[in-house]
Amino acid sequence: MDLAFIVFLSSGLFLGWSLGANDAANVFGTAVGSRMLRFSTAAIVFAIFVILGAVVSGSGASHGLGELGSVNALGGSFTVALSAAITVYGMTKLTLPVSTTQAIVGGILGWNLFSATAINWSTLTKILGTWVACPILGAIFALTLYRMTALALRITKPHLLSLDQWTRVGLLIAGALGAYSLGANNIANVVGVFVPASPLTDIRVGGLFTLTGPQHLFLLGGLAIAVGAFFSRRVMMTVGKDIVAVGPVGGWVVVMAHALVLFVFSSQSLQSIVVDAGLPRIPLVPVSSSQAVVGAVCGLALARGFCGLRQIRWTVLRNIAVGWVATPVVAAVISYVALFFVQNVFEQVVYL
Amino acid sequence: MAELKISPFRTTKVLRTQIDELLDVVSKAALAYKQGMSRTVRAGWDDDAEERFEQISAFETRGDRLRDEIGQSLYAEMLLPDRSGDVLGLLGSLDRLLDDMEHSFVVMRIERPEIPAEFHDKWLECVALAADTVEQVVLAARSYFRDPQTARDHIHKIHFFEKETQLTALQIMEHVFRSDLALDRKMQIRGHVWLIHRLADLADDAGDALAIYAVKRSV
Repeated sequence: MDLAFIVFLSSGLFLGWSLGANDAANVFGTAVGSRMLRFSTAAIVFAIFVILGAVVSGSGASHGLGELGSVNALGGSFTVALSAAITVYGMTKLTLPVSTTQAIVGGILGWNLFSATAINWSTLTKILGTWVACPILGAIFALTLYRMTALALRITKPHLLSLDQWTRVGLLIAGALGAYSLGANNIANVVGVFVPASPLTDIRVGGLFTLTGPQHLFLLGGLAIAVGAFFSRRVMMTVGKDIVAVGPVGGWVVVMAHALVLFVFSSQSLQSIVVDAGLPRIPLVPVSSSQAVVGAVCGLALARGFCGLRQIRWTVLRNIAVGWVATPVVAAVISYVALFFVQNVFEQVVYL
Repeated sequence: MAELKISPFRTTKVLRTQIDELLDVVSKAALAYKQGMSRTVRAGWDDDAEERFEQISAFETRGDRLRDEIGQSLYAEMLLPDRSGDVLGLLGSLDRLLDDMEHSFVVMRIERPEIPAEFHDKWLECVALAADTVEQVVLAARSYFRDPQTARDHIHKIHFFEKETQLTALQIMEHVFRSDLALDRKMQIRGHVWLIHRLADLADDAGDALAIYAVKRSV
């Protein structure tokens, strides 16, 4: 692995670190914020499963993102990832809703425009569709899971203490699933743009299994996300306390719904099953983890009827819709300008 | 030899047993209170009353110890982080009921009042109603831990029994003060009736708190 590649990859790894620091809270925020799990336990489980998800199942969403624009030069990959990181950082500073997924898509669109590569409108439409579908699906999953959980609790009537113990186990399993799905789905945001230009080759690990070039890259990205998770304590406590209003069992529903949404948009096996059943193909693209959580919380509120409906902060949903347009546009502009500078000032190849 | 902690659910099982035992203790104490008070009113302070008093004292001591152990376990094991305050509040209310039952007996043991026969029926009715109020609190508390929706079925009975206790206590006091008894005896009897009503009142407070805890649990 040459030094230039590591330097170019740094923007992606930084993006991975910030994704880990922010999105680990979506997975374990409820459990840690409500003191059902220790932060150290949550961070370790998150780190293990996010890496597993990225390496084992990361190729689906990464391939989906590659269809939008195959960034074929390392300088371009670096600039696109950096533009996404700047967009996320800037919009977060301005307290505007932002998603890494939408920023990276904007960055790729900027590269497409700069390199005069035709935009694959069919793929772009699919991706935009998944952004809208993501919170809606989160709400549907949460509503269904809540109803099933409430029914199961009504039938089994567990003791408060037994419920507490089972909720802890449930939060740990849901968190592991959520981390795996996050790794599988969001690794495309972190290192997806580096895949076409990556010099990494297949390596055989201890004569047990082969790590392909892209998997090698996903492992590095996964490690960056995992490291970021260990810096997420404060975010976990903040997000956790916001979500904790739904209670530990409600929190479990939210985390499970979030994990299922990310799983749907990253599982190649599920895609094959759906296609074999003659149903429309599920696009495997990265979706926003935070928006899946917001959708799930709204689904939980809907499950509680009119009273719950009144508790929904509609401005949050409006801001998400605004973010669907604003984030990619801002990222595309930054990416276009940054590519111009990298190509003409730093004299780097940004496309072939 | 140090005990090997194999199952993560072991502490939960121990705690469940302790909570159930505390509820049993309060229920048994209410029965002992009813029996002891009835006996004392009819036959004065005798060996049987002394035995009931010792029984209630033992229940009170056991209740205190159980509450401390449960509280320590909840915090040490970080169990029920979102509900520990409610659970400890509930256990505190149950402990106050035990304290109050013991206190009533202590005062009865010291003063040994002679209750005129004309007030016996109402007196026994009042004691039975107060004990029923405590019994309903125990049932509501059991429901809270298992099925919070059904706690309401007992909470409205707590309020009903408390009102009935209050009504009966007021009737006794009115009759006492209209009677020809000396003022010091009137005051003494009033004090004991007041203690019976206070038990029902404390049980009613526990019922109010339980109603809120149950709503919080079902949200």
